[in-house]
Amino acid sequence: MFIHIFKYAFKTLFRDKMLIFWTFAFPIILGTFFNMAFSNIENSEKMDIINIAIVENEDLKSNEFIKEAFDNLSDKENEDSLFETKYTTKEEANTLLQDDKISGYIILEDDKANVVIKSNGTNETVIKYVTEEILQTGKIVDEIAKKKIEEEIVSGNYQVDYEKIYEEVSKIVEKDDTKLKNISNSNLSYTMIEFYTLIAMTCLYGGILSMVVVNHNMANMESVGKRVATAPLHKGKLIISSLCASYITQIIGLVILFAYTIFVLKVDYGTNLPLVILLALVGSLAGLSLGVAIATLIKANDKAKTGILIAVTMFGCFLSGMMGITMKYVIDKNVPIVNMLNPASMITDGFYALYYYDTFNRYFFNIASLLIFSVVMILISIGGLRRQKYDSI
Amino acid sequence: MKPDSYDIKQKLGVIFQDVAVFEELTVYENIDYFCGLYIKDKNTRKQYIEDAIQLVGLEEFKKFYPKQLSGGLLRRLNIACGIAHKPQLIFLDEPTVAVDPQSRNNILDGIQKLRDNGATIVYTTHYMEEVEIICDRIIILDKGKIIATGTSDELKKKAKIEEKVTVEINRLPEEIIEEVKKLDNVSEVQYKDNVLVITYTAGKNNLGDLIEFLKQKQVNYNKIYSERPTLNDVFLELTGKELRD
Repeated sequence: MFIHIFKYAFKTLFRDKMLIFWTFAFPIILGTFFNMAFSNIENSEKMDIINIAIVENEDLKSNEFIKEAFDNLSDKENEDSLFETKYTTKEEANTLLQDDKISGYIILEDDKANVVIKSNGTNETVIKYVTEEILQTGKIVDEIAKKKIEEEIVSGNYQVDYEKIYEEVSKIVEKDDTKLKNISNSNLSYTMIEFYTLIAMTCLYGGILSMVVVNHNMANMESVGKRVATAPLHKGKLIISSLCASYITQIIGLVILFAYTIFVLKVDYGTNLPLVILLALVGSLAGLSLGVAIATLIKANDKAKTGILIAVTMFGCFLSGMMGITMKYVIDKNVPIVNMLNPASMITDGFYALYYYDTFNRYFFNIASLLIFSVVMILISIGGLRRQKYDSI
Repeated sequence: MKPDSYDIKQKLGVIFQDVAVFEELTVYENIDYFCGLYIKDKNTRKQYIEDAIQLVGLEEFKKFYPKQLSGGLLRRLNIACGIAHKPQLIFLDEPTVAVDPQSRNNILDGIQKLRDNGATIVYTTHYMEEVEIICDRIIILDKGKIIATGTSDELKKKAKIEEKVTVEINRLPEEIIEEVKKLDNVSEVQYKDNVLVITYTAGKNNLGDLIEFLKQKQVNYNKIYSERPTLNDVFLELTGKELRD
């Protein structure tokens, strides 16, 4: 019986042109437009190499770590190269700055790095930010190295190989360098932000699929629902098998979207693709449950319900940054509760977490939030379904 | 009956007034889907579907989608979906509304076959001629209340209509009509569009008496004939002739 209902629910969904448009075609069309629009913006806003100077003095000579870090970020063979660095005297650096030949210079004094700039701007902010990060990392390296040396001495090894220890620690520095580059790049990736909200939207549009199959089984919604209501079947079993069909349909839609974005639009989801897919699957579950809740709780015809679901989804995506990432930050800062209840925001936040953070805590927090959201929606829907009574024959 | 009275539901078939089929499924798939909610065995189901298709005469339309069917064919599909599982008790709610005469005949034939095969059928309709053709027992409902029950003959007796005589007369003076109204057993006289209709509540030789009367009054007529009252007359007699909402 499960397979029988599943098979026909699947067929009805796949042959419904309106559904196929919203769940399969619309995200692909939108993705294509995003790609056309935002890749140009991204290219135009790709960060130019920033000219800087570093004052050569005794403090710099005693701080090899900072010099190496800036050399690495100034390496022209490195595609993530940020700076064109000149080592000069303080006077020369001042002259270059006044002549606008450099955006700023760094001078090390008493283990502190002072960044001297002429005016405030993007380049100046990047110089400050990167310098602070390098100093911060340098301190961590020092502390780790000192700890390691202490441990060696405590364990009785008085012939400590200082160079080897610093070499090991420098590997951490290299790692941190990579982290820095990634962050500087990710700040500029409009396309990725848009594609994440696009996936979030697709997940939530899955709600239309679940809404349609639930409506098919409700006697007060569709005439086929009346016929189904007279059959000797438990309504729960009927709806569960229909929902499984809608979830599989949704997954097929996601597979097509991922394939299209990866192979046609050449979107790079990075090394976390399996986790991106996992989040999309859980997000789809949330979309599915949202559709069921709207189908069972709102008393309106199916077209009105579809309109409500699309409106809710689009508004949720808007709040989560689809039409501008600033919106997400504004909501996060001023009314964080909205994004905590917004499934679109949970999905996009999960994606950002994968992109920005080395740990998965925030990612799994969002996964858990989506699961809780789904369970709550399903429980509310069950309550709504149980309350519905029809005239007995 | 409760929602989980599955044993009872298994024996029921309901054909709603609205066509209740999936637009995305073909004729065969629609019948298979609804039949499958009752019949688990695939082979049995296949046979039942073929029987239902044959019963409603949709053999040539198995692969058609509902939107490709005419109104009459859709109604027949609607019936097939409701009876494919061979229910013992079938409810049909005005299944012939807005249907062409050929489809109506087919539907009525199908219903008679279902009855002949042993099913009990509860048939709701406003078409009294259909009731006369297929119903053994009749219940007349008016404003939600039962006002009469019985066979067709029993109801006709209850309505106190014995005979209806129709005469085609080109010109009939008003005073003659008034005299006709005073004849024995006459309950109602109507003269419209050169047709005189006289309803009798009793009497054995009403037609002969009327011919004699017209002869005496020197009224010429083209055609004259007598009819037994129909259920339509009974219905109007019992429920009144005023227009309803």
